[in-house]
Amino acid sequence: MSQITFTLLISAVIFSVGAAGVLLRRNPLVQFMSIELMLNAVNLALISFAGSMGTAEGQIFVLMVLTVAAAEAVVGLGIIVGMFRKRNRIDVDDIRSMDG
Amino acid sequence: MEQAVLLIIGVLAVASALGVVLMPNAVYSAMMLLLNLLSLAILFLLLHSQFMFAAQLIIYAGAILVLFLFVVTLLNPEGEFIFRDKKRLQRAGAISFGLFLAALLIGAFIAAFGKVQPTFADSSGAAGSYGSVEAFGIALFTQFLLPFELTSLVLLVALIGAVVLGKRK
Repeated sequence: MSQITFTLLISAVIFSVGAAGVLLRRNPLVQFMSIELMLNAVNLALISFAGSMGTAEGQIFVLMVLTVAAAEAVVGLGIIVGMFRKRNRIDVDDIRSMDG
Repeated sequence: MEQAVLLIIGVLAVASALGVVLMPNAVYSAMMLLLNLLSLAILFLLLHSQFMFAAQLIIYAGAILVLFLFVVTLLNPEGEFIFRDKKRLQRAGAISFGLFLAALLIGAFIAAFGKVQPTFADSSGAAGSYGSVEAFGIALFTQFLLPFELTSLVLLVALIGAVVLGKRK
């Protein structure tokens, strides 16, 4: 098994663990961490593809994913903090409406 | 040697990913996420992507994870023991979905890349140069200049969103 195949398999496993984590946990913070796991798994797959092609293009995509992940973390954590201010506890089962 | 490091780091990455999902305390989950990010950074380095190794450490471990830790310690959520609570259906569904997805992805990757020997850089003369800062910068500022500029718009939207969400009413 080549190096690329091995890292691709690792990224597949991490992505699945992240997807299961989003469904399994009800704490939105841990769900966010699981989403970060999934984004990271995709980053690893993109870097593996860049390695197998021997070009730099795959890494540009990874940079975009990093940027979107940072933006998503900021906005999502802001929403969670706002939710905590309103209800004083955080559980995704509580969320029924999106009004401020 | 490189194979051994790859194997150890791969196992560490998968184990820490499981730790993120299974740890009852959110701070422990964040620590496991840090371990996962570090092991993925080392995998990037083993794939000759030096710039992405540094970017992963600075952006993920340095910025995003610290933000997570701030919010986790600010909100101090109660522990969640997923193997003790009553929601059996949710648990069984989530785990079987995860296993199904893993089997699907692993099967697809092995079918697509199991036999093909990629033109990986180890043998060629320019081994590993595609991941250098130089190659990355040339690609980013010539071919991908427009996406790079549009990235700033994404960050601006996130900035405004954070200010609006954080504003006290």
